[in-house]
Amino acid sequence: MANQHQSPALSVEGLIKDYPGVRAVDDVSFSIESSTVHCLVGENGAGKSTLIKMLTGALQPTQGVMKVNGVAYQPNSTQDARESGIATLFQELHVVDELSVLENLTLGMEQSRFGFVIHSDLEDRVIQTLATIEPSINPSARVSSLSVAQKQIIEIARAASSGANVIIMDEPTAALSEREVERLFTVIRRLREQQVTVVYISHKLDEILTLGDVVTVLRDGKHIVTKPLSEVAGRSELIDMMIGRSLIQNYTPRTAVTNEVVLSAKGLSNSLLKNVSFDINKGEIVGFYGLVGAGKTEIARALFGADKVSGSIVFKGQPVGNTPKQAIAAGIALVPEERRTQGLFTNLTIRENIPVMNIRRMSDNGVFRSSDELTAAVNYVEKLGIATNSIEKHTEKLSGGNQQKVVLAKCLFSDADLLLLDEPTRGVDVGAKTEIYDIIKNLADEGNSVALFSTELEEVLGICDRIFLLYCGSLKSVIINGPNLDSTDILNVVTGGNKGVTQ
Amino acid sequence: MFKSTTYNFSRTVPGQAALFLRNYYIYFVLIAVIAFLSLANLDRFELFERGNFLYEKNIINILRVSAPILVLAGAFTLLMVSGYIDLSVGSTMGLSAVIYAMLAINGVSFWAAFSITAVCGALLGAFNGLLVVRFKITPVIATLITLSLFKGIALLLVQDGVSAIKSMGDLRMPQWFNDYGREGVLMGLPMAFWVAVGVTVVLIVLQNRSLLGKYAAATGGNPTAAKLSGINTSMIVFVLYAIVGMSAALAGIARASFMSLGDPLSGDGMELTAILVVLIGGTAFSGGEGKVLRSFIGALIIMTLTLGMLTLVPAYYQTLVIGAVLLGAAASNHFISRKDHAS
Repeated sequence: MANQHQSPALSVEGLIKDYPGVRAVDDVSFSIESSTVHCLVGENGAGKSTLIKMLTGALQPTQGVMKVNGVAYQPNSTQDARESGIATLFQELHVVDELSVLENLTLGMEQSRFGFVIHSDLEDRVIQTLATIEPSINPSARVSSLSVAQKQIIEIARAASSGANVIIMDEPTAALSEREVERLFTVIRRLREQQVTVVYISHKLDEILTLGDVVTVLRDGKHIVTKPLSEVAGRSELIDMMIGRSLIQNYTPRTAVTNEVVLSAKGLSNSLLKNVSFDINKGEIVGFYGLVGAGKTEIARALFGADKVSGSIVFKGQPVGNTPKQAIAAGIALVPEERRTQGLFTNLTIRENIPVMNIRRMSDNGVFRSSDELTAAVNYVEKLGIATNSIEKHTEKLSGGNQQKVVLAKCLFSDADLLLLDEPTRGVDVGAKTEIYDIIKNLADEGNSVALFSTELEEVLGICDRIFLLYCGSLKSVIINGPNLDSTDILNVVTGGNKGVTQ
Repeated sequence: MFKSTTYNFSRTVPGQAALFLRNYYIYFVLIAVIAFLSLANLDRFELFERGNFLYEKNIINILRVSAPILVLAGAFTLLMVSGYIDLSVGSTMGLSAVIYAMLAINGVSFWAAFSITAVCGALLGAFNGLLVVRFKITPVIATLITLSLFKGIALLLVQDGVSAIKSMGDLRMPQWFNDYGREGVLMGLPMAFWVAVGVTVVLIVLQNRSLLGKYAAATGGNPTAAKLSGINTSMIVFVLYAIVGMSAALAGIARASFMSLGDPLSGDGMELTAILVVLIGGTAFSGGEGKVLRSFIGALIIMTLTLGMLTLVPAYYQTLVIGAVLLGAAASNHFISRKDHAS
């Protein structure tokens, strides 16, 4: 892989980036060899994003040198970076839905005469590039008709056909289903065969172990190691390097679980759900586990009254109303799947976010008691360990883990007896994950009930007392967590296998 | 262990019927409006020849009156496709009408007056563009400011106790001033209408064939993607504002000519008409989508309806009826696109 005679595709030497009061990237030096998949890992706040922003020209380094193919490189914009052969695939999709695939691929590179687009070999070239990496996409299709994964491939194809030697991918699988991830990996491998270097950033360590050639680990802004993945002994070593300690997620049976039924759902059905019935007990953490489209979010939203559903839901002996307002009043709170768009008011401060579900109770005759708000905010920032220098910080400026803690605080502050957590640790780094699990366990130990909706088996096996397995809108099986669970059996159930889990 | 997965909202491909409806519904609406008005009793007012709505003179009359909105609709569509809006078009129209009339009454030739007014309109539009892209003022607010500003200038120019620039005493409007919007030059239709057709054709070609058209769609569809593709979106928006300004000036010229005077208030309410016309043509408020030709047809629908209604119901019902029709159009459009976007 490492060719001594060829200069690395991209290298950084003594790179430093200072923010007021913080050194986000601290003297980082490493090289990325050509035609490799180079993975970049680290917890949130380890300096990955800052490093990437410097590489793509969005930020200027305080000190240090970046080189492309051995030549000094100082980009001032994404455009500069692209001209130096470095393209970036951001987490958000940057395609124009209203244009065709071909128009998207050539956007900004069109050949024109007197301002009018003329036919050129560019079009043939991009069509060919697209056909090489993903032949199933029709170049004349409207982009709005494509799936998220296909849109991503359009972006990759655009980067590749614009002559990029290095393509940086920031969490490219965040919105993809498993099958689509496989397809993306195939595309990435094809790119590598064509001498393209891929810098791959992901929280999902399995992906990195599957796909990567070389890994660079960052921690607290510092460069920890760069080495071939063949020399890394599995994910535990990766995690050790990332957080400097081992992550233990083994489930231990909890004593706070009671037999008192808090919520009882019977025969929930809608366009996806098929006759789903279950009970949740006081003090219990239950998990709803299934693959994409199995119905976990639908169940969460139904319990919260956000979606219409037939069947009955009884909470603490009372039927639950069918609006979120009634659910909150009854003592149910939902931490939604999409933190940034559904859970947080990103333009408000931490202080303003926390009491949002509870403002009525904090008011005298419609006049808001701001001292209560202040106390609550200070309390929860401390209780949940939200890392911030001020409760007046806008939540959009927090890291993913801290944002999620603010959402949790918001729900906790509403005095809910039942918390519905839909993918509470998505996009959250490993350290913050553990902290969130601890918060969940403490809550349940205090006598609250928690329903965890997740597509990560590791997560549900780590903290849930009982796990409901979902497949295509049906509740297939219930398992009681404990030692000696066979994950193959669980997988069999959630992928539609016939054999049930016996326990 | 295996990977976590998340939702993927893949859209269904719209059916042939839905696509056909989406692309051509506007023509059916136009035909329906004309059919309805033809069937209704139309011999009450002298505006239309007796008996038949589809009578040559009726059509000519409608198209003559429609010239201002027809000339404006295309440029307005492109601006909305790029995700921006101009509320000052009515004031730009009024100011242009005043400038044009002042030039005409003071003996400037047609071509000189026409060109100068068009350039003034483009400059007014460019000023809007400057406020929006250079000074980063929200489009709605920026153009509300200029709505007031431009109208103020127009009123100042007219002053001296008269409400508009018109033939008075020794100062007579030249014959060409009135002819432009009234006298048939081809197929019985006046110059103003043919200019609108010409402008629309140019804009259709621009939209479908030029970088400006493509980049306008990209800017409205996904501004970040456009910028990351190296498109100077600010320049695109600036140019579009200038084009809208120029089109508004041409609309002002057509209106002034039709009314035989330069009235500073002659464009009042035009911004709403323009928005309605573009929306009925299927352009999304959110940008990215929309076609110049469809807005042109949309303008014909609105004007046919407005004028046709004059013969059917008292004038004070007009606005309500138009609102109802628009509601129907919006609802059906919503229904069609919802089918298309169902996940």
